[in-house]
Amino acid sequence: MTTSEPDQLDDAGLPTVEYDDHDLLGQADWVIGGEAARKARQQGLYAGYVAFLGALVYGLPIVQTVFRTSDAGSLGEQLSSPVAIVLLVASVAALLGAVVFAGRFRGPVVPPMPWIDLVLSAPLDRALALRRWWRYAAVGGLFLGALGGLTVGAGLAFAHLGGVVTIVVATVAGAALGVLTTRLWLWSQVRSWPGPDRGLTLLWRVPDALRELHAESLRAHSANTSTLAGSALTGNLRTARLALTRPVHHGRSARLRPGRPFAVLARRDVLGLRRTPGAFLSGLGLSLLGGAVVTWAFVQPVAPSIAATIGLLPLYLGFGAWSEGLRLQADNVGTPSLLGTNDVGEAVAHLVVPTALTALALGLWVGVTAVFTPVPASAVLSLVIVLVLVVAGNVFAAFRGTPTFVMRPQTVVAWYALPALSVVVIGSVVAVLTKAGSYTWLSAVSWLAYLLLFWSISRVRRLTYLHRS
Amino acid sequence: MAAVAVLSGEVRAEGVGKTIDETTLLLPTDVSADPGECVVLRGPNGSGKTTLLRIIGGLLVPTTGTATIGGREADERDRAVRAAVAALLGAPTTYRDLTLIDHLVLIDSTWGGEPGSSDERSLALLDRLGIAHLDDRFPHELSSGQEQLFRLALTFSRPATVVLLDEPEQRLDTTKREVVAELIRERTSGGTTVVMACHDPDLTASLASRVVDVVPAR
Repeated sequence: MTTSEPDQLDDAGLPTVEYDDHDLLGQADWVIGGEAARKARQQGLYAGYVAFLGALVYGLPIVQTVFRTSDAGSLGEQLSSPVAIVLLVASVAALLGAVVFAGRFRGPVVPPMPWIDLVLSAPLDRALALRRWWRYAAVGGLFLGALGGLTVGAGLAFAHLGGVVTIVVATVAGAALGVLTTRLWLWSQVRSWPGPDRGLTLLWRVPDALRELHAESLRAHSANTSTLAGSALTGNLRTARLALTRPVHHGRSARLRPGRPFAVLARRDVLGLRRTPGAFLSGLGLSLLGGAVVTWAFVQPVAPSIAATIGLLPLYLGFGAWSEGLRLQADNVGTPSLLGTNDVGEAVAHLVVPTALTALALGLWVGVTAVFTPVPASAVLSLVIVLVLVVAGNVFAAFRGTPTFVMRPQTVVAWYALPALSVVVIGSVVAVLTKAGSYTWLSAVSWLAYLLLFWSISRVRRLTYLHRS
Repeated sequence: MAAVAVLSGEVRAEGVGKTIDETTLLLPTDVSADPGECVVLRGPNGSGKTTLLRIIGGLLVPTTGTATIGGREADERDRAVRAAVAALLGAPTTYRDLTLIDHLVLIDSTWGGEPGSSDERSLALLDRLGIAHLDDRFPHELSSGQEQLFRLALTFSRPATVVLLDEPEQRLDTTKREVVAELIRERTSGGTTVVMACHDPDLTASLASRVVDVVPAR
């Protein structure tokens, strides 16, 4: 209810009106959602319950397997080495960097459009009007962080690499990381719109952070969410990518040097990375992280084979961050021809820069390892197969086309995950065979990697030719 | 290296029509254009002019009739057809990390342009269209009119025996329309065939060697 208090004046001597924010919000809730709003909130609790059960059923056994596949003593020593600690810090920094990046276009507080237009326009306390969406994110972050910490801590304990204290410390650390992550996410969302109060103190002044959220910013974030969800569901990855990326403004004075078609296409990619340092640095971080884990998995006998599985994903994603030229070629399929190159030649030219950079990242880690311990030739050869796989997976991802089947959430996930999954599965098999010294089988699987590469490149032509019909 | 046939600019579309499910996008229509000609497609919105241009460019399969470029079926999958046809049909996808001049240099290089003079050629084309001062801008930094001029520059920067344009005059002021008309005139006088959809009667009158009225399906 609203009550007028004409006798009360504010500091500037203006008459004031008092609003019962809770009551007004309750009425708005009832008008918009009725009973359904309450049920929707209960569904959130159910999702958390399912995630908890999932972690118990799948998480613990997986982590146990990870740490039990090797000699616990040596593994413990390696996990507490300076390199492992640096990698752990780098991973946490990458996670925090990712949420700051994501918060620019999709923050944790994204109410539906009607709520922004019809409810937030009222003179209610914005912190209260937005608190619900913040709580969803905050509780989710805390829950997932604690669950992740608990899973890892329990896994370490089961593998005799720690005790009960390890479980408690890992759980608390995970929860703290979850809290920090969601608060940084909110801070980044606040910073996505100009305002007077954008400092780091907002990290612990959440109500003030919520009050700083501009209606236009919330509308933009809500629209971005719809764009991303819509384009993801229809397989329109270009729209999703453009929604994620920031317009380029760097390095406009640099010029593309003319030359032969193949060289000029490769130079285009170099110039593109110079002008998008964010893409270059993301690729660098992911490739160095993935390269370190994968190299460790292939070179160190004590490393569990599953380490390769874990490291392959960032390596694959790092290559992808450097492959804008390749993706744009795929986006252009079906449009009138502007470039005078053939389809496969253009794709191969666009692979030069990301392949060279990924090879450098892997080579760097092999070199570092070689300083401390001998590197078996078989491991180096297997890393070459891994490089081939990563190239093949990214060509496959760029030229997968658009889905032609009826989209359901499960099929959408499978459709998106297939290229990465191919890389991770085949790469993991390569790691297992390399460590087991099964060179006959390794030779067979390496052919599978080359087959995937040739098949992916054949998709370039196939997609280019098939779109017309 | 692969040999690619050089097709003449002879455009023939005989009875081409397009129907998707129950919806007719284009009634059977004839278009004939010889090298050096500019054929203008005229018709109300929704009559199928863009569909007709897409069929002529080999981007769309006609439901009825046949379309040929230089005597070969108009099929974009054919390298010879791709080499012959430059088209501005909708917004071309541009690199968000390349400036205007970089785009033109890239296109010029991939068509075997002399590297030593690529910058000059590209700047000259931008200058013709009045956007040379924007050469170091990125495509997302242009106004809608400047964007249209840049799209025309992309289309005109590559060699072609057939040029297809879908309403090249859109978003342009009168002066810029005349600049575009002059560029089209130069291409046709050099033997290029131009087929374009156009809603501007003055531009049509000054350029068209023939006008094809595209009749709406309903």
